[in-house]
Amino acid sequence: MNKKVLTLLTAALATIAIAACSENLDGGKSCPLLCPEQAVTLADTTIDAVIGDTTVPGLPPIGSEGFLMLASHGDTLETRAIVRFDTLPQTYTKTSIDSTIVKLDSAILVVPIVKPDSLKRPHAPLTIEVYNVDTTESDTVTAVLATFFRPDRFLGSKTFAPESLLDTLRVPISTDSVLSRVLNGKKLRVGFRVRSSVGIDLRIGTTHVGQAVTLRMVASKDTAAAPVIVSPLSNTPLDATFLSDPLSDYTIVLKGGTTTPSTILAVGGVPSRRVFLRFNVPSRIVDSTTIVRASLLLTQVPNRRLAQHDSVYVYPLAVLASPVVTDVASLLQFVGPSGQFNLDSVSMAPGDSGVRSFEIVGLVRTWKAQPSTVSPRTLALRSGAEGQLPGEFDFFSSKAAVGVRPRLRITYVTKSSSGLP
Amino acid sequence: MMMTRSIRCARALSRCIVGGSLFVVVPAVTAVAQANLSTQGFGFSTGQFSSRAQGTGGAIAELDPLSPINPASITLLGSRTLFFQIEPEFRSVKTASGSEQTSTARYPVVFGAIPFGSSWMFTLGSSTLLDRTSSTTFLTPQHLGGADSVAMTTNFHVDGAMNDVRLGAGWTPLTWLRLGLGAHAIVGHNLINVTQSFGADSSRFASFSQSRVLGFDGAAISGGVDLISKSVIASFSARKGGTLKLNAEDTTLTSANVPDRFGASIAYVGIANSTISVRTSHDNWSALGALGGVGLKGVDAWDTSIGAELAGPRFQDRLIYLRGGFRTRTLPFQAAGGDVKENSISGGIGTTLANGRVLGDLAVIHANRTADVGASERAWTISIGISVRP
Repeated sequence: MNKKVLTLLTAALATIAIAACSENLDGGKSCPLLCPEQAVTLADTTIDAVIGDTTVPGLPPIGSEGFLMLASHGDTLETRAIVRFDTLPQTYTKTSIDSTIVKLDSAILVVPIVKPDSLKRPHAPLTIEVYNVDTTESDTVTAVLATFFRPDRFLGSKTFAPESLLDTLRVPISTDSVLSRVLNGKKLRVGFRVRSSVGIDLRIGTTHVGQAVTLRMVASKDTAAAPVIVSPLSNTPLDATFLSDPLSDYTIVLKGGTTTPSTILAVGGVPSRRVFLRFNVPSRIVDSTTIVRASLLLTQVPNRRLAQHDSVYVYPLAVLASPVVTDVASLLQFVGPSGQFNLDSVSMAPGDSGVRSFEIVGLVRTWKAQPSTVSPRTLALRSGAEGQLPGEFDFFSSKAAVGVRPRLRITYVTKSSSGLP
Repeated sequence: MMMTRSIRCARALSRCIVGGSLFVVVPAVTAVAQANLSTQGFGFSTGQFSSRAQGTGGAIAELDPLSPINPASITLLGSRTLFFQIEPEFRSVKTASGSEQTSTARYPVVFGAIPFGSSWMFTLGSSTLLDRTSSTTFLTPQHLGGADSVAMTTNFHVDGAMNDVRLGAGWTPLTWLRLGLGAHAIVGHNLINVTQSFGADSSRFASFSQSRVLGFDGAAISGGVDLISKSVIASFSARKGGTLKLNAEDTTLTSANVPDRFGASIAYVGIANSTISVRTSHDNWSALGALGGVGLKGVDAWDTSIGAELAGPRFQDRLIYLRGGFRTRTLPFQAAGGDVKENSISGGIGTTLANGRVLGDLAVIHANRTADVGASERAWTISIGISVRP
């Protein structure tokens, strides 16, 4: 009996000993009465920290758009989308046996699009026309390509009702023209043009986002014959895949390109552009305090030229290139992904106005105790629809009037806890 | 060899065993929640009592060789001894804002002892002098100028304690006299972690945290006397504090003095295997005032208790000791400008195991802590002490 009691007692003590290791330390309900020591002081200051800013047009570079911008706004804007099929197969498969293509029953361009939301759906039918833009001349020059959108190079077209603009459009093109190129081993390069009685913007998928235009050829009426699906491919420039790959599909602007005055910083637009900013934050703040908020304050200028009410996210991005790279256009291509360093985007419409606040504290914190050669005090701005939609976001630059120049608002800890009770 | 570093609950047991040497000693450390009455200032004073002494409310602490109070009493150990103590506390704090429960693990006393000759005994051990381990989370508005403000959540976490590492020597020159001396190193650290975040405004504001290690470096000496008659033992002990420095890395931030302490008890031992005792002691905690910030105020305080240890029933030839006591004291640091009073009652048992090679003690303490600032605190503490004679 006594042994059992002792065993139970030992077990109870062991349980208590183990339970003693389980702590619940979190308190705080009785604050501030019983914990007055944890106060910190935050200071807030707004400074003219931008010491250099500029707008660089032509970014992203040709062929690097996420979606092709096919737009028609009369004299305001005209763009074309180019898709290259530089290798066309000459066989098709029927019951697991390859057969040579000798005729085509149909040739259809399957065009993935971004479905317009209900508020931005066109109010009138639109027609997509396809032209043969293959040439032996300089094959990316807009002035040259623009001349190919003429009747003798017409390959086909189709008209779509607004409600039929879902996720994919199918445009039949001339089977004779396609067959001729298949039989002769030639390239097929097509140019898209959109027509409508109203201004229209279409976003067409690209190889960049894995949703490219494809050519669907049916070489036999036999249902056992598989259709031939051809994806975009560019073989020129020769032996330079880093240049030729992006040219599988790209946009050209025939009409409507604008320039940006020095007093304005422009993001997006046509041609698409990005903004580069360089900062100088006093060392007494960036190195000697803990920054908890850093807001880049830009004063937006309304741009009512195109899509003035279409909201788009504008992204602040870290510039990842070291100061060894001095060309601003190059710097703006070495940018981090959106969201890196917790950089937060801001939604706005081109026609808006007022002060916009970009939260960049995550980036500014990386500047602490780091020389600018290691952590450059730079930032890029880009549109979330750059090269895809014509909307342009304008802000006053550091060359504008004093009151509307870019500023940096910083909130930082001036006095932190010493740890002493 | 002596390791002077703080430990937390999960690490404590393993480190106490490390080394296998009698004098591998780990400073005892506790963990207490902030935002309560008992852990103000540099923390909570556990009293440096063993589980045995806790069972009597501390009344026999001057006589108890397991409590690092009176170095004269260590001669009572008689043989090589290792001692370790676990002391979880479960606490409820009530203010006008409501009440909340917290719990903490403590390891307040650990030491080893070895005899030299028939009349000398030496010990090396560590006990928690002041524990500051805490974790507090609270929300405050931060004004940023004009009408702009943001709600900020602060988590203030402190890990560590001020420990008393004592090298003690006890001598019994005469049958009615025991003498003792102690050399104390006041060491330990507070690891401060402050994290502040901004909740729903996390996209605009980035949280931040800071860490700092505050180290203690001080010394003291102590002495004690036991006068023994057939039925009464009178004990006296005192500690004289030297300079105590508070360091951050290699920089001394502040300095003060280790608090002086004196205590006395008188015990009736006329009943076999039993002790009935009254004890009082005084600590001048105000000596620590200069070690902290402007608002820190230490309170010179009395700690008085009455209690008894009585021989109880026997189980398989093992004598069971029954203990009980009452204790009243003032805690070392003010809370919101008010002195914190603590009254506690305690009870406990103890017995020997493994043919007398192991002594196990268990005590349960219920404490009421009050201050005239609109706050009160209740705590249940369980103290388990294990002494081993290898």
